[in-house]
Amino acid sequence: DALLPAPQSISILSTNMKHFLTWSPVIVQGETVRYSVEFQGEYEREYANGSWIPISECSLTTATVCNLTEDISAPVAYKLRVRAELGATRSQWGTTKGFFNRAMTSLTPPVLRAMADGHHLLVELADMGPSLQFRVLYWRKGQESRVQQKVVKEVSSVVHLDTMEAGAEYCVKAQTHVQAINRSSSFSPTQCVRAQGDTSVWLV
Amino acid sequence: RVSISMTEIRAGFTAIKANIVSICQAPGGLGEPLEPLWSQQLHSSDRCCITYQLFTFYVDKVFKHCRTEDSFVNRKISSIANSFLSTRRKLGQCREQNNCLCGEESTEKFKQILANYEGLNVTSAAMKSLGELDILLDWMEKSR
Repeated sequence: DALLPAPQSISILSTNMKHFLTWSPVIVQGETVRYSVEFQGEYEREYANGSWIPISECSLTTATVCNLTEDISAPVAYKLRVRAELGATRSQWGTTKGFFNRAMTSLTPPVLRAMADGHHLLVELADMGPSLQFRVLYWRKGQESRVQQKVVKEVSSVVHLDTMEAGAEYCVKAQTHVQAINRSSSFSPTQCVRAQGDTSVWLV
Repeated sequence: RVSISMTEIRAGFTAIKANIVSICQAPGGLGEPLEPLWSQQLHSSDRCCITYQLFTFYVDKVFKHCRTEDSFVNRKISSIANSFLSTRRKLGQCREQNNCLCGEESTEKFKQILANYEGLNVTSAAMKSLGELDILLDWMEKSR
């Protein structure tokens, strides 16, 4: 086994509660090297003799990335490992340095689009996966002290926020929130829209 | 007050329930190890302690004997076991802070559960107890 080097540069990329293991390829001229990934939660370390659990989707894969999202699904510290395989030859395991907890995921602000539909203030939010909710803040421009909030748990197409006064301008911003880890992203840039029926028009 | 994320545990269990039930229907049908508790309406003072004991029971005695041939099932059991471990830690803190003691009746029932469990073949008993997980979650939510 020592002929096949273990994968290097093993790291976890985690954004918005989607977790991926990545590593550098092991190069063997003229050959296709495959990889297998296993994970270990705190339970396995403390109560199951330090056992490891294979991820079938990432067993004998030629890819150098593995989706861990379904398996990193408890609020504990996990370890990951990957090894190279070429025919019957297997490398040593390459293991992540330190532990990974899903609370370490990085959260990005939502992608949103504020819209005025006549007198209705609407917002469209891009779906970012099941674990994420959105906290939407909206206010009438100039009345920043009277901000209102709506928590959007399931992203449907468009969300109705408020009925606007004719010709008034309203502003919207939002942040991502994950209940399971009780964390929120920074806010998205503010967007403002104007309601139909501008009162400043003079009829001659 | 300990918030227990049942949603994730229940989702993990629902994904493998059919597999577990089929494993549990092996010949030599077993009684339900945790049966004694289900009929009992929990006194609020008992809730913290009994729930902690149940989670400890699953973490210490059940999950480690639930390895199957099916990789998908094993991964979901791992997810449930790790969620139980994390929740038990929170319950343990609550138990220490509130010094919550188990009532006599609940303690007796729990001893009965352990006796039931110990009297069975370890793997069958573990899978049987795993198969009762949704009943446990329902029972906990009912006792809130």
